[in-house]
Amino acid sequence: MKSKFFQSMLAITVISLLLLTACAKTETPTEAPTEPTSPPPTEEEACLIIGALHGGPINDAGYNQAMHESVMAIKENIPCVEIIEAENVPEEAGATTTMENMIQQGAGMIIATAFNHQYPALELSQKYPDVIFEHAGGWEMGENFANFFGEPPDAWYIMGVAAGKMTETNKLGFVAAFPLGWTLTFANAFHLGAASVNPDVETTVTFTFSWGDSAKEADATNSLINQGVDVITMHVDSPTTIISTAESRAVYSIGFQSLHAQEFAPEYWISGTGYTLGDTLTWLASTVIDGTWEPIFLRCSLFDGCMAMAPFGPRVPQEVQDEVLAVSADIENGTIVVFAGPILDQDGNVVVAEGEVLTDDLMNSVDWFVEGIIGSPK
Amino acid sequence: MTLLSVLGVLSSAIFSGTSLLYTTLGEIIDQRSGIVNLGLEGVMLVSASSGFAVTAITDNPYLGVLVSILAGALMNMILGFLVISRRANQLASGLALMFFGFGLSAWIGRSYVGAKINGLPRISLPGLSNLPVLYSSLFNFDLLIYLVIPAAILVWWLLFHTRWGLGLRAVGENADTAYASGRNPLRIRYQALFVGGLLVGLGAAHLSIAYTMNWTEYMTAGRGFIAVALVIFSKWNPLRAIVGALLFSGAVAFQLLLQSSGIQISPFLLDTIPYILTILVLIAWGGTPKHSAPASLGRVYQGTE
Repeated sequence: MKSKFFQSMLAITVISLLLLTACAKTETPTEAPTEPTSPPPTEEEACLIIGALHGGPINDAGYNQAMHESVMAIKENIPCVEIIEAENVPEEAGATTTMENMIQQGAGMIIATAFNHQYPALELSQKYPDVIFEHAGGWEMGENFANFFGEPPDAWYIMGVAAGKMTETNKLGFVAAFPLGWTLTFANAFHLGAASVNPDVETTVTFTFSWGDSAKEADATNSLINQGVDVITMHVDSPTTIISTAESRAVYSIGFQSLHAQEFAPEYWISGTGYTLGDTLTWLASTVIDGTWEPIFLRCSLFDGCMAMAPFGPRVPQEVQDEVLAVSADIENGTIVVFAGPILDQDGNVVVAEGEVLTDDLMNSVDWFVEGIIGSPK
Repeated sequence: MTLLSVLGVLSSAIFSGTSLLYTTLGEIIDQRSGIVNLGLEGVMLVSASSGFAVTAITDNPYLGVLVSILAGALMNMILGFLVISRRANQLASGLALMFFGFGLSAWIGRSYVGAKINGLPRISLPGLSNLPVLYSSLFNFDLLIYLVIPAAILVWWLLFHTRWGLGLRAVGENADTAYASGRNPLRIRYQALFVGGLLVGLGAAHLSIAYTMNWTEYMTAGRGFIAVALVIFSKWNPLRAIVGALLFSGAVAFQLLLQSSGIQISPFLLDTIPYILTILVLIAWGGTPKHSAPASLGRVYQGTE
C-alpha cells in the first residue's frame, strides 16, 4: 500500500508539473539558430544580415505566418539582405540565446515578433549598441530599440460592420484565447462596428484560456453556434480549427492574423484582416542599411498597407461589400473614429466620455466590454 | 437556454468525449495487465501528428486513421520494451515516452501546421436530414463516433468474458500466480500494450483528423492525463468509462455554455469543474478495496528465468 501511495503522489506531482509546463508550451529545437539554413554569408555578400525570431511555427496560417511573410518581403525587395530566421521560440530565455547567436553570426538587425520577446530584446539592445532591434507590438523604446505594428482596431470595426450586415440571427460569436487588454479592445471594436449598422446585434465572447488548444476551440465554436450565433470570429494563434468548424456547420466566419485563413472556409467566408508589414519592414531595413535608422514608435494602419482585408466570400452580397468599403473609407478620412465617446460598458458606466477618444496606450489595458457584448471580461 | 443549447452540450460532449473515451479504453487495457502508461500524452501526440500528416499527403482520412492507430501501437511497444523486456520502472519509462512523444510529434507535424485537410466525413442518420441544418449538424457524426460505444462494449467483453481477458486481468493482479497457472505474463503484457496503443491511436486520430481537422504542437493539451484520471474515475471498467468521458467533456461544454450565456461566474472557476468532479470521486471511493487498482499495477514482473 505504501509504495502505491508514493507512486500516486509522484504521479500527481508529475501531472501538475506537466500541466504547468504545458501552459508554457514546449520548445522544440527546430531550426536551431546555431545551424544557419544558408552557408554563413561573408560581409561582402550581404549588405545587412537580419535575424528574425517568431514565437510559434511560421506555417500556422495565423500570426506567425503573417510575420514570417512580412520578414521575407524584405529579402524580396532588397536582394542583398541575408535573413536568419528562427521559429518556435516561445520562452524568454530561448529568445535571448537565439538572438545572441544571430548577432554572433553577424546580424546587424534583429526583428522579434513574439509579444513576450520585448524585454529580452530590450536587454540585449543595451549589450549590443551597434545592433538595431525592432519588436512587433511592444511599447518600450531605446537608442537602438524601437517597435512597429499594425493597428487592428480599425480593421476589427470594419469586420464588425460586415458581420452586422450578414447576420440573420443578430448574434455574433467571438472565440478568444485570454481576456487580455488587446483582445478585449478587438472584441469591443468588432461589436461597435456591428452595432453601428445593426442596433439589435449582440456579440458573445467565449474564452478558451489557451492560445492553441484546438479541441477547446472547436468546443467553443460549437457552443456559440448552438446559442444561435451565425457569424464567428476569433483571436487565437491559428484560426484554422475555428473556421473549419464554422464552415462544417454552415456558419459564417471572419478571419484574423493572416490572410491565409480564407482557405479554410470556401463557402461561408465573409472576410478577414491580416498583418501585411512587408513594406514597412523593408523601409526599416533600408534605413538600417543607409545608416539613417532612428528609433520611432511605428504604428501603421489598414490604410498604410500594414494590414490588409481579405477578399469577400462568395455569399457576401454586393451592397454589403459596398457598405463595408464605404465605412473603411470613412475611417480613413476620419469621419468615423472607432473609440470616440460616449462609450458605455456592459453595466452602463461611461468608460469613454463624450468628446474623448480612447488612446492607443489605454487600449492594451482595457478591462471592460462595451454594452451589447455578452461574456465576462475577467 | 434554448433546446438547441441543451442539445448542444450533449453534442459537444459526444464530439470531444470520443477521443477521451478511446484513449481511456486503451489505458484501461494497459492498466488491467498491470502497466501504468503515463506516456499517454506523448503516444496521443505522435499518433495525432502522423495521422494528420498522412491525411494531408494522401488526402485520404481513412489512411490517416490507420497510420494513427499503428503509430499508437508502435509507441506503446517502445514502452513495452522498456518496462517488460528491460524491466525498467514504469513511471519513469512512461514519462520518458511522453517527452519523446512531445519532440517526435513536433518534428513529424512541423511541415503540416496550418495544412488544410478533408477530415473524416460525417455520416448523417436517416431522418435527421429533415431537420434544419443547425440541428442536424449537431448529431452528424463521423464513423469513429458511431464506433466508440461499441468499442467500449467490446473491450468490456474482451476483459471480462474471454479467456484472454481473464489471463490479462490475472497478470495484472498477480503475475507470478498467473505464470504458475500457465500464462505467459510477458507476452500478455505486450499484447495488452499493443491493443491499448491501437485504441489510443484511434482517440488521437479522432482529435486531429475528425474533430479539429488541425495539427498544432501539443494539441492534446492534457487530454492524455485526463484519460489516466478517467481510468481511476471509472474504476478500471470500460462501461463506466463511457459515463466518465461524457461527464468530463460535458462539463467543459457546460462551462462554455455558461460563459456564452452571459452568466457572470469566473470562467477560470468554471474551467475547474472537471477536476473537481475527479477529486470528489476520489474522495468518495478513496482506497476501498472494492474500487482499488489491479493489485500489481506498476510493479515490474521479474520473471522466473
